[in-house]
Amino acid sequence: MAVIDVKNVIKAFGKTKAVNDVSFEVHKGRIFGLLGPNGAGKTTTIRMINHILNPDSGEITINGQQASPETQRMIGYMPEERGLYKKMKVMDQLLYLTQLKGMSASEAKKAINYWLDRFDASDWKKKEVSELSKGMSQKIQFIATIAHDPDIYIFDEPFSGLDPINSETLKEIIIELRENGKTILFSTHRMEQVEQMCDDICLFNQGEAVLTGKLREIKASFGKNTINLEFEGDGAFLDQLEDVRINNRSTNFAEIRVLNGQNMQDILKLAMEHAEIHKFERIQPTLNEIFISTVGEDNLKKAEIQ
Amino acid sequence: MSFHKIWLVLKREYLTRVKSKGFIIATALTPLALVALVGILVFVNITDAEVEKQIGISDNTGVLYDRLTEINETRYLDVSNLSEDSLRSQVLSEDIDGFIVLDDSVLTYGKTPVMIYGGSGGIGFISSVRSDLRDVIREERLSRENVSEDVRNIFETRTGLEAIKLTEEGESEDNTVAASMVGFALGFMIFMGIFIYGSVLMRGVIEEKTNRIVEVIASSVKPIELMYGKLFGVLGMAVTQFGIWIAFYIGLSLAAAPVAAMIMQAQMESMPEEAAEATASSFDPSSLEQLAIDPSIFLYFLLFFIVGFLIYSAIFAAIGAAVENEQDSQQFMFPVAVPIMLGYFFNVRVMESPDSALSIFTSLFPLTAPINMVTRIATTEVPLLQIILSLVLMVLTFFGIMWLAAKIYRVGILMYGKKPSFKELGKWIKQS
Repeated sequence: MAVIDVKNVIKAFGKTKAVNDVSFEVHKGRIFGLLGPNGAGKTTTIRMINHILNPDSGEITINGQQASPETQRMIGYMPEERGLYKKMKVMDQLLYLTQLKGMSASEAKKAINYWLDRFDASDWKKKEVSELSKGMSQKIQFIATIAHDPDIYIFDEPFSGLDPINSETLKEIIIELRENGKTILFSTHRMEQVEQMCDDICLFNQGEAVLTGKLREIKASFGKNTINLEFEGDGAFLDQLEDVRINNRSTNFAEIRVLNGQNMQDILKLAMEHAEIHKFERIQPTLNEIFISTVGEDNLKKAEIQ
Repeated sequence: MSFHKIWLVLKREYLTRVKSKGFIIATALTPLALVALVGILVFVNITDAEVEKQIGISDNTGVLYDRLTEINETRYLDVSNLSEDSLRSQVLSEDIDGFIVLDDSVLTYGKTPVMIYGGSGGIGFISSVRSDLRDVIREERLSRENVSEDVRNIFETRTGLEAIKLTEEGESEDNTVAASMVGFALGFMIFMGIFIYGSVLMRGVIEEKTNRIVEVIASSVKPIELMYGKLFGVLGMAVTQFGIWIAFYIGLSLAAAPVAAMIMQAQMESMPEEAAEATASSFDPSSLEQLAIDPSIFLYFLLFFIVGFLIYSAIFAAIGAAVENEQDSQQFMFPVAVPIMLGYFFNVRVMESPDSALSIFTSLFPLTAPINMVTRIATTEVPLLQIILSLVLMVLTFFGIMWLAAKIYRVGILMYGKKPSFKELGKWIKQS
């Protein structure tokens, strides 16, 4: 049974359909990535899973139960728009937020103390959040999300606004949580993070789930249709290539997606005529490339993809 | 709805506010300021006699000056031997404060006397001179007409009216003036309380939005639970503050008369005997006993404040949810400001004529009732049925407004960006 089951969900705001007939399943012990440009409907979907919004139609179940105040307790949620009460002491704040998730005061205290210890943050208990640095308050935010020990963790754009150290810490926590059999869903518009961490993905574009499945299988299904080229010399020859899409280009590097079955050897020949080749490699497409070829270049708000 | 969650929210709202320095300072300083004010008033009453002015009287009638000095020995100066020009220059050089030329015409034709003066002294001074002149001229005219002593006495009588209130318990001394003032003051405090505590609530809602914590909360608590928790949390703080002040006031009103008497005693011992006697007659410390207010009025005050606050604070919370900073809230304030200001303006009428049709209407109309009904209760005998009706209407109004406000609230707290128009608020209501 899927831990999170989203079935034919539709949510409209006025005339715009923010989420249009979306279905996917998140399974136990896996990391699920929700990808897509800003405004694709990721946050709306996440809010519905968290029972902050209700779908217009369709069904969302968490561990077999329809999304409700009871299922909210099973989830630790860190929204993209996140923050804390500035004038409240760290301990009071964490106690409040954890108790709202249904823990008793004494249980909450124990859990919070454990996590504060783990983050070397026990000295901050009596401090107001406004006295903490940004990195410190981000740690408090993690603790607020995970202290009630839920089965499911949902992070909406977790890495945006995090400093590099906390970004790394969060990655470690996510991996550790999975090892402990927890289920994680996170959304991002940064494809490379997904490549590193996710087991399963769902690609969103303009309110629709355009591609869903296991990351490895999806990539394999696209075949080795991409060339990783490293060279030295004038890169102007790249502009002469036809039926290709060059995604990632710098002075001595290019990622070339070959379209319409063009012969890759021809590309190599052309390259050798104009530059010294250091590396020529056939690879599976990057997630970014997969996304572009799935939704089609015309349907893409390109500026929002990195 | 989960009452446990509402309770958690309420507890946080209440405790963080009541423990804050701002609350402690405001709670402590307000009554101190009140005491200081009363103290100053009492002190002024006791010690401040108007600085005596010198008015030159150029008396061509030969009789009025003597009569004036009978009324006030020090104020009037005989300057009949000086010319008008030199009097004018004396006024300008401030040797005298003013002068009046009195001719026979004021006696025979009732001509209005003219005072030329330096412009200082205020209304109190002018009216006291006027009443002095009025008295002496009337007396002189009466005596010229050879009116009998009896008739003169008739002219001097000023009939008052003693009002005695008859209740089931018997007759009691009536103090309608004091009651009206208390009524107005209580209405005014509800008016201020709704505005001030309502703004506190609104700022709290805006703060959760700008802190970006509201979505974290929304993933644990229903918006309506959050809203109820915040409403009652701020209400708890308001009632705590009012409760402390009321307790303080009751204590003060019991202690005021004896303390004032003590102060006066001390004052008078340090004064020359004559001045002390004058003081004693001008201020009676036992008049402070009128400060005591029937405790049941305070109960009504709290009751109407609570329901009134809930009605308005639901709107305040919705406004807070719709905007991202306080400046933007201005354009939405009129649904709060218009009815509450009307209640405030009507309150003077309600105080003056608490049984008029207008007063009955505004004390039943749920948006003005919190202010106007309390004023009426303190001022007059309001039928219990009207009080109950007023409360029932208010409670119904609260649920109606809460129903609408909650819809705006639940959409608004998750909305960032442009501040919405009224049209968009309408859409939010339909949406949810």
